[in-house]
Amino acid sequence: MKMMRRKIVLAGMLAPALLSVSGRVAAQASSFYKDKVININVAGGASGGHTRYARLIQPYLQKHTGAREVRITLMPGGGGLKAANYIWRAKPDGLNIFFGNVSTLILAPLAGSPGATFDPTKFVYLGRATSEPRVLCVGGKSAIKSIQDVQKLGRPFLYPSQGTDEDFYTMAVLADALGFKVKAVTGYEGNADTALAVIKGDGDGHITGWSESMAPIKSGDKHPILMVNSLRSPDYPRIPLVSEVAPANKQATVRAMATILETHRSYIGPPGMDPQAVAAFRAAVTAALKDPGLLEETIKGNRPVVHMEGAKQQVLIEEITKASASLSPILKAAVKEIQ
Amino acid sequence: MLEAITSGLTALLTPQAMLFMFIGVIYGLVIGILPGLGGVVAMSLLLPFTYGFETAATLALLLGAHIATIWGDSVTSILFSVPGSAKGLALCFDGYPMTKQGQAKRALAASATGALLGGIIGAIFLALCIPLIRPVILALGPSEYLMMALWGLTVIATFSEGSLMKGLIASLLGVLVAFIGMDVVTATPRFTFGSDFLMDGISFPVAMIGLFAVSEMMKLAIKGTPIVDRSLVTEVSTVWQGVQDGFRHWWLVVRSSFLGLWIGVLPGVGASVAGLAAYAQAMQTSKTPERFGKGAVEGVIAPDATMGANEGGGLMPTLAFGIPGGESMAILLVAFIGLGVVPGPDMLTKNLDLVFSMVWIIVIGNILVTIIGLGITPWLARLPSLQANLMVPIVLSVCFVGAFATRGHIEDVLVAAVFGVLGYLMDKYRYSRANFVIGMVLAVMIERNLHISLTLYGADFLLQRPIALAMLVFVVVTAALPFIRSWRREKAMVAGAGS
Repeated sequence: MKMMRRKIVLAGMLAPALLSVSGRVAAQASSFYKDKVININVAGGASGGHTRYARLIQPYLQKHTGAREVRITLMPGGGGLKAANYIWRAKPDGLNIFFGNVSTLILAPLAGSPGATFDPTKFVYLGRATSEPRVLCVGGKSAIKSIQDVQKLGRPFLYPSQGTDEDFYTMAVLADALGFKVKAVTGYEGNADTALAVIKGDGDGHITGWSESMAPIKSGDKHPILMVNSLRSPDYPRIPLVSEVAPANKQATVRAMATILETHRSYIGPPGMDPQAVAAFRAAVTAALKDPGLLEETIKGNRPVVHMEGAKQQVLIEEITKASASLSPILKAAVKEIQ
Repeated sequence: MLEAITSGLTALLTPQAMLFMFIGVIYGLVIGILPGLGGVVAMSLLLPFTYGFETAATLALLLGAHIATIWGDSVTSILFSVPGSAKGLALCFDGYPMTKQGQAKRALAASATGALLGGIIGAIFLALCIPLIRPVILALGPSEYLMMALWGLTVIATFSEGSLMKGLIASLLGVLVAFIGMDVVTATPRFTFGSDFLMDGISFPVAMIGLFAVSEMMKLAIKGTPIVDRSLVTEVSTVWQGVQDGFRHWWLVVRSSFLGLWIGVLPGVGASVAGLAAYAQAMQTSKTPERFGKGAVEGVIAPDATMGANEGGGLMPTLAFGIPGGESMAILLVAFIGLGVVPGPDMLTKNLDLVFSMVWIIVIGNILVTIIGLGITPWLARLPSLQANLMVPIVLSVCFVGAFATRGHIEDVLVAAVFGVLGYLMDKYRYSRANFVIGMVLAVMIERNLHISLTLYGADFLLQRPIALAMLVFVVVTAALPFIRSWRREKAMVAGAGS
């Protein structure tokens, strides 16, 4: 009883001290960026989607970090690898942040890309701004009407591709999981080029982000047959998900792929980033993406926000990378095929 | 149809739309004149300011700015041999020699008139051909793009005066430089030596800034004289002469405009190829091809007319399929989505007035650019007579800032300097810089499209693609024309001497 009383007294004495320490950490974190300059290195060009999102969120990040300036630096190249390599080597003081497509950063090392000089699990994940489902479409006039038609095509599925981007890797995983052959026709200039090849019938189909294919799907120029996502589209509920058509022994692979693709547009920091900066930036990203002003702008500009907390993302990335070891041989084989 | 034409115009005649168009044009002219920045940068910087305004006003702002960058690009190419962006390159070939000969006013005015006429022809064609757009686009593919690139290659002979071997060596050097970076077909690094920077390849506008502008400034600094020494060369031309040139060569303008439209509807071909192809056809169809590269006004009119018309052509895939033909059209597509407009076949029925608004924007925007351009030409034409000690630091600063602004990489400033030295040495030892650039532009395009054609259609792809075959015949005929003409001339001279 005496012992118990002593513990209570001790706890009573320590509690205010602990509270004041944690309060001070939180206060330091929230004021970490005050009057500092943050460099957001965007892995994209002037007209790209990453840049548009980065610029849209920029003033709200400044508001919620209290920074003197949030500077946007465009760092296109290598499908985002250039910016990622830069952040990998950046000083972990919290002032240099990457913004771009995280799925490429996970897929490139798995495929053995010589351009990836980093380990994606060592980055500090600070929050996802948005994500959109990837969709496999065929031409509007194609004889292929469903993913089952692809499986019984009797010849390789012709896949026009602009190179080893995340859609190229996704196609390789789909072919492996669903048991059909793919012939990638590389050399196309971009999504416009591959889309026209599919509409003309030069290629059988291609994978894009949902928003990129929306207009041709509505006009009937393209026909969606499969989504690589964890949820069906509310607008097109009949399009099956890859996890629904993949056999049981391939479920882990396709789910890992879908989760990788869902990481999409995120903020990340260099390995060993200052914990106070991490806490402050994660909090600021969450506050910025919930800011009514930003939400109004996203509705006006038709650019939805699909936020994920940085801490949750960090755990998820580690899980994905562990689970995605099975992807590596598939991706490497696909790259070897075009070389 | 008539109702859509008038309602398209009426939507534009609001104070807000006209003000936005004016702002867009002035802003586009400034951006266009700055090296390294072009229509894509102009539009992407404007995009965040477009929400919440009238649809026509938004499009007037974006398209107005984009149109104005075309002539803005040409200005520095003509006056200082500094291409504002990749598409302004062809203007250096004859525009800059005209400036040196005291014909800057004429060259600038001819360029503005060419762009105006090309823009109007492009807009009219866009309006008339909307129902035909889709089948035309669907009929063209990588094999046809390949033929377009081969046509561009035929210009190499023009710039190889003196030694064809030196011309070919210069082109080959350009091809090698173009291959630096990730291989577009196999996604493996080429000539990158483990460097992150080289993975993205050498930026074409940066290489041009170095090869042409930096090397010219080196020459000026060494000589210590201005580009145009007024004590030796007086400004002999007038703005009116340039305007007349544009109309006098109307058939060249029409041909170049159709070429611009054709290239515009081919997504992925790009405006830099458009300028070179325009130059090639102007030279190959000229009765005096030997004047090209030495200050022929046709060499200025043709690329501008092509680039003016390219605007209308570039809109076609965006409107017909909702597929942007290039980066600038991708920005326009974002603006469309922001405005709640879904491009695609519905544009022809539900949003025809909007299509005609764009046709009117191209027409009015071009007229506005030309009026402003012709108005400021007399002042611009004085710039090349600035003393070298003033001109060299100013132009070099603009060049290096432009090189940095192209991609935001500090390494590009070094690349511009290295290419400056290379350009200076090439010029000194008579290796054509133009051929170097042609090799650089066309190498990847040929590699890309040849690979796709062979993969999709096999080795006999020409037999399966009749349009490509017809284009190849056309390329061979137009490439042979100057030789046939020269052979006939020699034959006639021999016959004349014999009699």
